[in-house]
Amino acid sequence: MRKNWQGALVLGALMASCTMALAIPAATAQTIEMAVDGSPAGLDPHIVTAFNSTTIVGGTIYEGLTVIDKDLRTVPGLAESWTVSPDGLTYTFRLRANLTFHDGKPAEAADVVASFNRVMSATIASPLASRLAALDKAAAPDARTVVLTLKEPSAPLLTALASIAIVPRAFEADKDSLQRAPVGTGPFKFKEWQPNSFIALEKHAGYWNAGKPAVSGVKFNIVPESATRQVGLTSGQYSILPNIDAATALQLRGRPNVRIVDTLELAYTLIGMNVSKPPFDNAKVREALNYAINRAEIVQAALFGAGVPGGSLSPALKDWAVDPATFPCFKHDPAKAQALLREAGVTTPVAITLLVLPRQDIRDIAQVVQQQLNRAGFRVELRIPEIGQFVQDWRNSNFDAFASTNAGSTDPDDYYYRTFRTGGSTNVFKYSNPTLDALLDAGRRETAMPARKAAYDRAQAILACEGPAATLTYGQLFTATRTNVQGFDIIANRSLMSLMNVTLAR
Amino acid sequence: MSRSFLRTRFADLAIVLVGVSMLTFLMIRLVPGDAVAIMLGANAEVTAERMAEMRARMGLDLPIPVQYAQWLGAVLTGDFGTSLWTGQPVIGEIAKHVWPTLQLTGLSLLLGAGLAVPLGVAMARLRGGWQETALQIASVVGLTVPSFWLGIMMILGLATLAPDLQMLGYVPFASDPLGNFTRLLLPAIALALPILANLARLVRSAMLDALQQDYVRTARAKGVSERSVLFKHALRNALIPFVTSVGIMTGYLLGGAIVVEQVFAIPGLGRLILGAISERNYPLLQAAILLVTSGFVVANFAVDLLYAVIDPRVRLEGRL
Repeated sequence: MRKNWQGALVLGALMASCTMALAIPAATAQTIEMAVDGSPAGLDPHIVTAFNSTTIVGGTIYEGLTVIDKDLRTVPGLAESWTVSPDGLTYTFRLRANLTFHDGKPAEAADVVASFNRVMSATIASPLASRLAALDKAAAPDARTVVLTLKEPSAPLLTALASIAIVPRAFEADKDSLQRAPVGTGPFKFKEWQPNSFIALEKHAGYWNAGKPAVSGVKFNIVPESATRQVGLTSGQYSILPNIDAATALQLRGRPNVRIVDTLELAYTLIGMNVSKPPFDNAKVREALNYAINRAEIVQAALFGAGVPGGSLSPALKDWAVDPATFPCFKHDPAKAQALLREAGVTTPVAITLLVLPRQDIRDIAQVVQQQLNRAGFRVELRIPEIGQFVQDWRNSNFDAFASTNAGSTDPDDYYYRTFRTGGSTNVFKYSNPTLDALLDAGRRETAMPARKAAYDRAQAILACEGPAATLTYGQLFTATRTNVQGFDIIANRSLMSLMNVTLAR
Repeated sequence: MSRSFLRTRFADLAIVLVGVSMLTFLMIRLVPGDAVAIMLGANAEVTAERMAEMRARMGLDLPIPVQYAQWLGAVLTGDFGTSLWTGQPVIGEIAKHVWPTLQLTGLSLLLGAGLAVPLGVAMARLRGGWQETALQIASVVGLTVPSFWLGIMMILGLATLAPDLQMLGYVPFASDPLGNFTRLLLPAIALALPILANLARLVRSAMLDALQQDYVRTARAKGVSERSVLFKHALRNALIPFVTSVGIMTGYLLGGAIVVEQVFAIPGLGRLILGAISERNYPLLQAAILLVTSGFVVANFAVDLLYAVIDPRVRLEGRL
């Protein structure tokens, strides 16, 4: 027994000294160590659309015919060029030469056709199907030519194609394989997935863009705890923390060997209102809510100043976004809000329950909004459910109003059509406005930029004050890297395609 | 060990496992939000029909009793199903996650229980002195400080003191034994501290109790050395409540491991279960819960047996 006692103490002392003395040397230089906050929900680009998955596979493993570059323009991807028929109904794409999939097979027009058919097929049940809604049929007259025939002209098509990954034709009817073992044409090739631990990618030797990628691989370490990710970055265990929130970025700013890069987000935070029932069936109440909100205060209080108040298109879309200063209701005016409520004939305070997306920044925003609305004639109760409950209530329009975030896009059609058009697939507000519908239809069919711009300018004006969504803020999107990471570009749509350019200096 | 004793324990085990499987099956399905909705999130544009198709593909459109019956039937033939999201057999995913958790909890138990005995004895020996007060305070602190907080503090502290230390994540033992050990040590300490404090206090009071017994007085009167009195006579008796507690602690450890694994980015069972809950990954969750419960029940079963070995009176009661 005496020996045991001493033995235990000696063992403990040994163990303690081991951690201090035996530091393992830094990670291998040629693999980029990333740390992300959650496991992806699967890696099939046509099935899973959550950020966690698309961030990891989009632009790294998979590519589309087109690609969104860092200036948010739609530029050639796997297609090196294309022509559009005068009636806007036929698109002919010319594929790059020497495209190969990660399994070594050539990527040809037939694979592109199979990929589109896969997205549109009922058995795959892809949530991306509506992006190809205008597509009548796809054909492959030869190995490098793809011809898309449309039912009606579609201005957003080229942008939408950037989000449709091209996969080998062998997977056209396969629902399971790509979820765990993705095969694409991108600069990185899938190597290993240890659920909850990491996803490892390696350089795709046959990548069409010769000389890319510069590193031998990328490893996405799955690290749910924010403090752990931060320490991992400052200690050099991780090289890049992509898409981090403002609070984390602020904490990391100024740390030795850490660099913060940022850009304005496409995604926006909003208060969504259910127009199918009181009180938000009344346009004046919706307008009052807009006047009651102080957007600048939200940016300061909930986003640490890292963001801007915004209308219903991201200010990052310089060609499209209307300056929110032109919307009268974006001026904070609680007295006006109360006057509008009186005009609306509703009893004040107007009691509403706000359904809140369970995410820290949205919770913070909801609390600020609650205070602001309460000062202007509302009585807001917050309901912050678990994510499954939130999604269910959101999909079933089971709310008076909700606070959430919406992903953005580089084309206004993608922002608006599904969200605000009568019967749109994410029109959970139950909003229906024939004038707006006509504008959105025109914006989709019209291919000339001035005419499209005119339609969306009017749509923004309609949506701004009486619309079902009071847009609040566009935040900054941050990425933290070690200072030895060179060539990384942050892109507002969260794509990590610039990883192919990254080099790690010693 | 009597046969009826073993038979009763095994029957208990089976009943508990079936009960737990039914409860988890029901509970997770009563929580709103299904796998399809969560997979798509509150953003994706997808029609109700498409969602129904995805649900049907995953077999989520069947009535819950039918789903349970199918699952139970498959489990009895050794098929635990495939993960809804990755399509992998869940048993393979669980196997990958079991080892880090076993190592982590094993090391914590070793640290916690191993150090608790000498510490408890020391506390009993030092009764009345300032050292005892110090140890008592330390043990209260150890009991009250949550493991996850301690874990975060350790990470932050070491990041300042030894910034080059690679201490996050998990390295398999086979690929780097030393890295495996150094990465598990911090989380194991964080996890072990409350257990150490708890068990040390238990050993202390059991020792104090034992030291007041007649047989100790007799031993002392016979001139047995103090060391022998402490370890041969008192400690053996004090160990009985200790062994019981260690069994219960194993359960706490598994619970604590969930949070500590999260903090230290260790791909263990705890994180697997957390993920499966938030993803509504039913087959994975069912199998993992069943495994953890079995582990817990088996640990208690082992303690019962051990109990009977240490204290013959237990064996006699088992015959009733």
